[in-house]
Amino acid sequence: MFENMNFSGIWQNFSSVPGDLLRQLKLLGIGTLTSLEIFVLTLVFSLPLGLLVAFGRMSRNKIVSTVIKAYILVMRGTPLMLQLIFIYFAPSYMLPESLKINLDRFVAAIIAFSLNYAAYLAEIYRAGIESIALGQYEAAAVLGFTKSQTFFRIILPQVIKRILPPVGNEVITLVKDTALVTTLGISELFRAARNESARISSTTPLFIAGVFYLIMNYVVTKVFDMLEKKLSYYR
Amino acid sequence: MENIPILEVENLYKRFGTCEVLSGISFNVRKGEVVAVIGPSGSGKSTMLRCINLLEKIEGGSIRVAGDVMVTTDKSGKVIYAPEKELRKIRLRLGMVFQSFNLFPHFSVMRNITEAQVHVAKKSPQEAAEIARELLEKVGLSDKADAYPYQLSGGQAQRVAIARALAMNPDILFFDEPTSALDPELTAEVLKAMQDLAAEHMTMVIVTHEMNFARDVSDRVIFMDKGVIVEEGKPSDIFTNPQNERTRAFLKGFMDQF
Repeated sequence: MFENMNFSGIWQNFSSVPGDLLRQLKLLGIGTLTSLEIFVLTLVFSLPLGLLVAFGRMSRNKIVSTVIKAYILVMRGTPLMLQLIFIYFAPSYMLPESLKINLDRFVAAIIAFSLNYAAYLAEIYRAGIESIALGQYEAAAVLGFTKSQTFFRIILPQVIKRILPPVGNEVITLVKDTALVTTLGISELFRAARNESARISSTTPLFIAGVFYLIMNYVVTKVFDMLEKKLSYYR
Repeated sequence: MENIPILEVENLYKRFGTCEVLSGISFNVRKGEVVAVIGPSGSGKSTMLRCINLLEKIEGGSIRVAGDVMVTTDKSGKVIYAPEKELRKIRLRLGMVFQSFNLFPHFSVMRNITEAQVHVAKKSPQEAAEIARELLEKVGLSDKADAYPYQLSGGQAQRVAIARALAMNPDILFFDEPTSALDPELTAEVLKAMQDLAAEHMTMVIVTHEMNFARDVSDRVIFMDKGVIVEEGKPSDIFTNPQNERTRAFLKGFMDQF
């Protein structure tokens, strides 16, 4: 019943040419390193930035909250791929001649990803922050804690516990979204797999890339399980 | 010295939108005095406590703590709060226990009591822990130091909350319906802890629906209704011979039990 499906590429390579497979693994491994770099740097920037955006979104200052709302709308409302391309090319097209800079494609990718993910994370932070009972703020206030002590000692730890599952979602999505930077010609895992696949006319490299993504997200899932467990000492 | 009021509240006004909740509240509390505030729901008792503890802003009047002005109102009716730094100092003289305990769920009982001592009062962790242990013993919860709030009964949680407030060594301790969220048998253990404090002459202002407690433990009872103090006096007078019609009506149900 599977006559019409062509799996031959996969099995051919797996069985017959171990030397080729090793080459592919090495190529994809190098690509994976780039993907991981984008992944880590995006998290490093977007996790704190998202908190700032969340504060802006909740600001009582109408101008600030409106600007931030518009920012979140644009970031969530347009394709990430489009944002990548826009941020990479916009400086050289839109700036006057004297100010023109050529953004490094890797830097452009990190900027686009961080801005985009900060918008999603901000809404998760906001949900978490707004879910903390007012009584926690009041108890902290009557004990004399400053606003920043209250936030960092009392509120944020409780927020983190609550938002772990949705943040896990975002982090898993990020692992897969790193494939989008291939649009800018950055040779990461997905690009390496596609090029190799085309070169040897085989789906094996793509299959291996899939396994690599899956392994990365398996690790992410485990890390989040661990964090949740670590924070399960209280309710 | 003993007769200087530790708390002076004058002509307090508070509105929520167009609804006036406090319409000119004035009273004093002297050092060592236990004042019970009673009255029907919605009479403004809790709001008054929250105003004094800076959890709500007032629309008029003045509050002084041990002679220091926390907030006052000038002749044009403008409410002027003391500068932030001064308010923080004054606030440290006040402690508050909430109806819903409001313990910090991510901290152990011990850390609930030490956190503010260390990070607000700047005591050493050792000193703070020692004070916490003494207070836990006082409220009968020495064995719960390492427990987390979710592992406590309501009565235990409220006693921890009392210990947490006492740890900051306040001049005056406010209770906002401390037993209203508790079963009768748990209520008793919290009232016992409060009674012990009263016996040590801790200055306390207690908003409560526990009439027996108000009658037996307090030095003075304030009856509030519709945002004003209708009547105040010794518990023996208020409970046996209320002067005002509204007080009589409110206490009727209670006194019928006897």
